[in-house]
Amino acid sequence: MNWIGFRTLTMREITRFFAVYRQTVIPGLITSGLYIIIFGLTLQQRITAIDGVSYTVYILPGLIMMNVITNAYNNTASSILQMKLLQQMQDMLITPMSNIELALSFIIGGAVRGFINGILVLLLGIAIVGMPVEHPLTVLLFLLIVSWAFSSAGLILGIIAESWDNIATMVNFFITPLIFLGGVFYSINMLPGFWRNVSLANPIYYVINGLRYAVLNVGDTPFSVSFSAALIMTIVFTIIGVGLFQKGYRIKS
Amino acid sequence: MPAAIEIKNLQKSYEDTVALRGIDLTIEPGEFYGLLGPNGAGKTTTIGIITGLVKLESGSVSVFGKDIIRDYRFTRSKIGVSPQEFTSDWFFSIEKLLIFQAGYYGIPKNLAQPRVDEVMKKLGLYEKRDDKIRFLSGGMKRRFMIAKSLVNDPDILILDEPTAGVDVELRRMLWEYLQELHEKGKTILLTTHYIEEAEKLCGRVSIINDGKIATEGAPHELIRSLGKGSIEVQLTGWQASDGGKLNGLSFTYEPGEGDGRLSFSVDDPEKELPQVVELVSRNGCHIHEVKITKSNLEDVFVALTGREINK
Repeated sequence: MNWIGFRTLTMREITRFFAVYRQTVIPGLITSGLYIIIFGLTLQQRITAIDGVSYTVYILPGLIMMNVITNAYNNTASSILQMKLLQQMQDMLITPMSNIELALSFIIGGAVRGFINGILVLLLGIAIVGMPVEHPLTVLLFLLIVSWAFSSAGLILGIIAESWDNIATMVNFFITPLIFLGGVFYSINMLPGFWRNVSLANPIYYVINGLRYAVLNVGDTPFSVSFSAALIMTIVFTIIGVGLFQKGYRIKS
Repeated sequence: MPAAIEIKNLQKSYEDTVALRGIDLTIEPGEFYGLLGPNGAGKTTTIGIITGLVKLESGSVSVFGKDIIRDYRFTRSKIGVSPQEFTSDWFFSIEKLLIFQAGYYGIPKNLAQPRVDEVMKKLGLYEKRDDKIRFLSGGMKRRFMIAKSLVNDPDILILDEPTAGVDVELRRMLWEYLQELHEKGKTILLTTHYIEEAEKLCGRVSIINDGKIATEGAPHELIRSLGKGSIEVQLTGWQASDGGKLNGLSFTYEPGEGDGRLSFSVDDPEKELPQVVELVSRNGCHIHEVKITKSNLEDVFVALTGREINK
């Protein structure tokens, strides 16, 4: 194991997004803050509490997950694509780092960004609307797992993508719709039977539901199910991402 | 001691083209070796396979006796690479990038810093160390690419077109620096379009064309084996025949006003010159002017490939 190389690339990935925190850290806080203020000030009076939780607090775990997923995914996907487009990938491929070390460094970089964004929105929720945190350690663990899972998904997309358009397409057509349909703003129990069942096929539903349980101790699905779903995604995405990197798919000619 | 680089029967195809059709190459430790060839000949693919940028398809490559696939950590740690295409970066200064690069090679920052400083000073990058790549001129970018290939203090330096697109002054500076590195014992493999560069720097060259090695040898040997030199003598008083052979040297005679011109076709004009002068003088002629024409590597290239290197 080339520990120094591994640490160097991981730290590079982390410093890279911190260097542009106005693009990578602040926007999530602003949009989440806007959601909290707008929903809190307007809709909350018209929507009854769900599972005994006020509406603003109810949507917060979903907002946290939205930030975790988009940040983790975007970091790795754009880092990989950028390195390919700017010919930087060759700088790593010629060095005595293994493909697994390279792939894991990229995943960790994105996971750290997802995790930090999640924690910041969580703190924002606590600060603005006094959101309770029922199971703090579970929250941290769950945020870490989901950050890792979607950072790995970003690795897969970054490897496959050949242009920025590919990445934006994936976000606009799949990830954002799946997040919104994953119950950020509602309980799937409010849906008619058919749509409720469709929601159960959406993997993002489970990560939102799982965090809602960890933070608020409420949920539509048992935590064990959500946790298993998140763990399976983490393992599957990691294996595919690392596997593609190993094969040199669209990285080596 | 095993060869610095040993390539055996390297073959590689891309989707619709065959890039390498069986390359065999041995580069000894301490050699300054040149790969010459037109665009698309297979130079960059060969280098890519040695360094891990291109997947090996068939054949084998070893570096100091170790296989580049099985023992990649060893072989890559011995090699520094300067690819032809510039890299860019949006986030970090060139100094930071060089420290990172050393880090990927397993060199911790405290050991990398003095090395990076030295290389930057040597290449005239030190004043620009806080700049980002995209704000550097083309020449500075090339210096940066070469600096990056040296941060791990490699035994083997592989440079893909290191002087492409740089001005004369920088080219000379880089030549001097490469010669200095070679004198310190580094093995250097370079690809180039500049015949002059290969003639000046390389102890041995291969001419690679259409995925195969057309010929290999020391530049002067290749030129001599082509055997296309000539000696022209401008003279008066030539009485003999219009052409034929003189002491085994074939020649032609072209009469002119008052004087004439003898052209001898010889393998090695510098070596044959005294004999020619003596022969001509012995015939009672008065020599006004002697002109020597020698083949160069470019002629060797044209003879082998049927085209000029830069066409």
